[in-house]
Amino acid sequence: MFATPFLRLSKRVGLFFLIGLLSISAFSAALKVGWTVEPDSVSPFIAYNLPSAEVFLLLYDPLVALNEKEEPVGKIAESWEISEDQLTWTFYLRKGIRWHDGEPLRAEDVKFTYDLFMNSGLGLFSGFLNGIESIECPDDYTVLIHSEEPKANMLMGNTPILPKHVWEQVAEEDLELWENEPAIGSGAFTFLEWRKGEFLRLKANRAYALEKPKVDEVVFILFANNDTLAQALKTGEISAAVNINPMQLPQLSLSPNLLAVSSPGYGFTQLAFNCWESEDSLGHPALLDKRVRQAIDWALDKKAILDMTYLGQGEVGTTLIPPILQKWHYRLTDTERRDYNPKKANDLLASSGYPIGPKGIRVDPQGNELRFRLYLRASNTQEIKAGQLIKKYLQAIGIDAAIETVDDGLLMDLIFSNADFDMFIWGWGTDVDPTTILNVMSTNEIFGLSDCFYSNEEYDRLLALQATQMDEAQRRETVYEMQRILYEDSPYAILFYDNEFQAVRTDLFSGWKRIPENGAFFFTINPYNYLNVTPK
Amino acid sequence: MLFVSSRYLGNKIAQALITIFIVLCVNFFLFRIMPGDPLSMLMRNPRASQQAIQKAKELYGLDQSLPAQFGRYLQDLVKLDFGVSFMFKKPVVEVIGGKIGPTLLLLGVSELIAIILGIYLGIVAASHRGRIVDVGAISLSLLLYSLPTFLLGMVLILVFSVYWGLFPSVGMVTAAAKFSSWWRQSLDLLAHLFLPAMTLALTLIGEYGMLMRSSLIEVLSEDFIVTARAKGLSEREVIHKHGYPNALLPVVTAISINLGLTIAGAIQVETVFSWPGIGRLMYDALNNRDYPLLQGIFLLVCICVIVANLLSDLLYMVLDPRVKS
Repeated sequence: MFATPFLRLSKRVGLFFLIGLLSISAFSAALKVGWTVEPDSVSPFIAYNLPSAEVFLLLYDPLVALNEKEEPVGKIAESWEISEDQLTWTFYLRKGIRWHDGEPLRAEDVKFTYDLFMNSGLGLFSGFLNGIESIECPDDYTVLIHSEEPKANMLMGNTPILPKHVWEQVAEEDLELWENEPAIGSGAFTFLEWRKGEFLRLKANRAYALEKPKVDEVVFILFANNDTLAQALKTGEISAAVNINPMQLPQLSLSPNLLAVSSPGYGFTQLAFNCWESEDSLGHPALLDKRVRQAIDWALDKKAILDMTYLGQGEVGTTLIPPILQKWHYRLTDTERRDYNPKKANDLLASSGYPIGPKGIRVDPQGNELRFRLYLRASNTQEIKAGQLIKKYLQAIGIDAAIETVDDGLLMDLIFSNADFDMFIWGWGTDVDPTTILNVMSTNEIFGLSDCFYSNEEYDRLLALQATQMDEAQRRETVYEMQRILYEDSPYAILFYDNEFQAVRTDLFSGWKRIPENGAFFFTINPYNYLNVTPK
Repeated sequence: MLFVSSRYLGNKIAQALITIFIVLCVNFFLFRIMPGDPLSMLMRNPRASQQAIQKAKELYGLDQSLPAQFGRYLQDLVKLDFGVSFMFKKPVVEVIGGKIGPTLLLLGVSELIAIILGIYLGIVAASHRGRIVDVGAISLSLLLYSLPTFLLGMVLILVFSVYWGLFPSVGMVTAAAKFSSWWRQSLDLLAHLFLPAMTLALTLIGEYGMLMRSSLIEVLSEDFIVTARAKGLSEREVIHKHGYPNALLPVVTAISINLGLTIAGAIQVETVFSWPGIGRLMYDALNNRDYPLLQGIFLLVCICVIVANLLSDLLYMVLDPRVKS
C-alpha cells in the first residue's frame, strides 16, 4: 500500500533533477551583485544607510563626481570655475541631459534640489551643502553658488540632483514619508523593480549622455546570510558579492575564475563612550574623565581582537579618519600611540584616583564602582566577539563591563533618544570628504549624528575652519590637528579599520578594477565597476 | 450521535476562539513593553521635525494612550483591518499576503514529502524491528532529526548547487530572468523550491519516522494484533489493516501541531536559502518594532496552530470512532 507512492515519488524526484538542469539558464548581460543589506529607501531624504548611497550613485548624477584618482570630473556640470574671492562657484551644465522620464534637465533642477536638501536638513547629503548661502540660475545651463566663506568640499559631495517636476509635488512635511518609487534620476541606470527583501533591479539608461554602461542591467540580490554568498558566487547565480564571510576568503582565492579581495574599507569599528557632560546623561560619570577612557584604550590588545574577529583582515584602529583616505588620515607618532599596555592602563587609573575597591573593582572618587554597561549588536557576530574580548581586557585593569546584546533598533534608541548607555560597539562609514566623519564629533551633532555626545570648543572651531580652507596643505594640517585632539580625548577607542570582503567572477565579466589600487570593487568612491565591466 | 459530535465540535471551536482572543491581548501588550521606540526607528532621522513626528504618530495611531490604541486595534480587527505596517507603509494584510504564498508553498511541499516518507520509514522500521533495516532507519531518523536545519541546508547547497550545479541556492525566482512561457517560469520556481523544501522535509522525516515507528511497535504488541495473526492474516495485512491505522493516531496529532509551528520554524530555511517568506519577515518586523506587522504575523501563526489542533481533533473523530462518544 505504501510501497507504490514511494516509488512514484522517487520518479518525481528524478524529474526534479531534470528541471534543475534545465532552469539554470544561459547567462544574460545582467550584472548580479549579492549583498546582505539592502537600501533603507530610494528617497535621498529618507535613506541613511550605505547601500542606499551606492544605489544613488547609479540612479542620480551629481554636478561633479570623483574619478578613480580622486580628481573631480564633470557629470551634470560640463565645467566649472571659482571667482577670485573664492566665494562664488559657477557651474556650466551639459546640454541635452534628460531625466529618466524624458523631461529635460535644467539649472532650475539643481537650485531646487540644493534648496530642498538645505531647507529640510534631511538625508545623507544635506550636510555637504553647509556653507552655501544662495543659488542663482541666470539661464537654463548655468548655476551660480554663493557662500559666505570659501567652501573647500564643493566638489566632493556626490549630492544627487533631483528632478524638480517630480519633487515639487511632494509637500515638505511629507518628505520624510514619501518613498520615491520609482526613482526618477538622470544617472547611468534607471529604476526598474524593487522587491523588498529579494532584489533590486536597475536598467541601463540608453539615453545616458556620458559613457553608457556595458551591461543591460544591474541586479542587487539580497542574501539573508553571508555564508551562502560565496556558494552562489561559485554557482554563477551572482557575478559579484559584497560582504562575504571573511572565513571563506582563503578558499575563494583558490578558484581561478574568481577574484576575491580583502581591502581597506571606508570605515572603522569603534568602542564608543558616553561623554555627555549633562545632568540628563544616563551614562556612568567616571567615563567623563578622559583618563579613564585612555586607560581603557591602553588596556585593549586591538591586534588580538582583530585577529580573533576578522582573521587579522584589517588594520588596528587609531585616529578618526581611515587610512584609505591617504590625504587626510593622520598617522600617530610612536610616542602618541597607545599600544597595548595593561600596566600603563593600571598605573594611569591608580594615579588618577581610581583605586581598587573591596570587590576587586576600581572605584571612582565618589565611591562608584567602575562597572560599565557594554551594548553589543546581536546582528553582528564579529562585534559580539570583540565585546567579549574587551570584557576580559577590562577585567585585567579592574573594570567590569556588563555585556548586553541588543538589536540595532534598540541600540539606536538607547543612544540617540536619551544617552542611556556607558559603552557600545558599532562602526561608521565615510566618504572622501573628511568633513563627513569629522562632523559626527561636533557639538552641533549632539542629538543629531553624535553617538558619544562629545563636545570640544577647539575641535568645533577647527571643524568650521577646515571647511573653508581652499589650500589643501593648510586644510590637511587642521584635519590632522583635529584627529590629534580626538585621539587625546578618546571619545572612541577605535578598534580597527575593518576590511571590505568582496569577490567577483572574472570568467563572466571582464574589466574589473579595484578602486583605489588596493581597494574594493563596490562601495568605493565611484561606481566605476557597474559602468565599465563587460559581459564575456 | 450527530448531536453529540456537533456539541463536541462547538466546544472545540469555542475553545479555539477564546485562545485566539487571549493570544491577541498578550501579543498587543507584549510587543509594546519591549524596549525600543518604534517611532525613532521608523523615522531613522535624528533631526526629524516635530511636525513630521506628529504626523507619523497620527498616521500610525501612536499618539493615543495604550488602552485607546488597544480599543482601536480590536475595533479594526473586527472589521478585518490589521493596520498599516510601519516599515513597509502598506496594509499589514498586503505585506503578509505577499510573503505567505512562498512560505505556504515551501511548507506545503516539504510537509507532504515528510509525511509520506516519514510514515513510510516508520512502518518499514517497525515491521522489521530489531533487524538491520530497523537499525538503519532509526539511525537515519535520529541523524536527520538532530541535524541543525541550517547545517543541512548548507550541505545540500554544497552538494547540489556548488559541486553538481543542479539547483539554484538563493531566492524563489531567478532575478532579472525573462521567461519565454509560464511553463519555464514554473520550472524555475520548482528548481528554486527543491533545496529548501528538501532541507525542511528531511528534518521532518526523521521526526515523523521515529514517531510512527514507536507508535506502531506499541500497537503491534497489543492483543488484537495477536488475534489478527492467529486468524492467519499475512504480516503485511496485519500491519496495514490493523497496525498502521491505529498507530497513526498519535502521529496525526504530532503532525498537525507541527504544521502550525513550522510556519514560524521555517525561518532558518528561509534564511539559508534567502527564501522570501514569513519567517524572515517576522525577524525584520521584530528588529524594527513594527507592532502592527508583528501582531499580524503572530496572530496568523497562532491561528494556524489552533486551526491545526482543531483539525487534528476532527481528524481523530474520523480515525477513531471512540472519540465521538
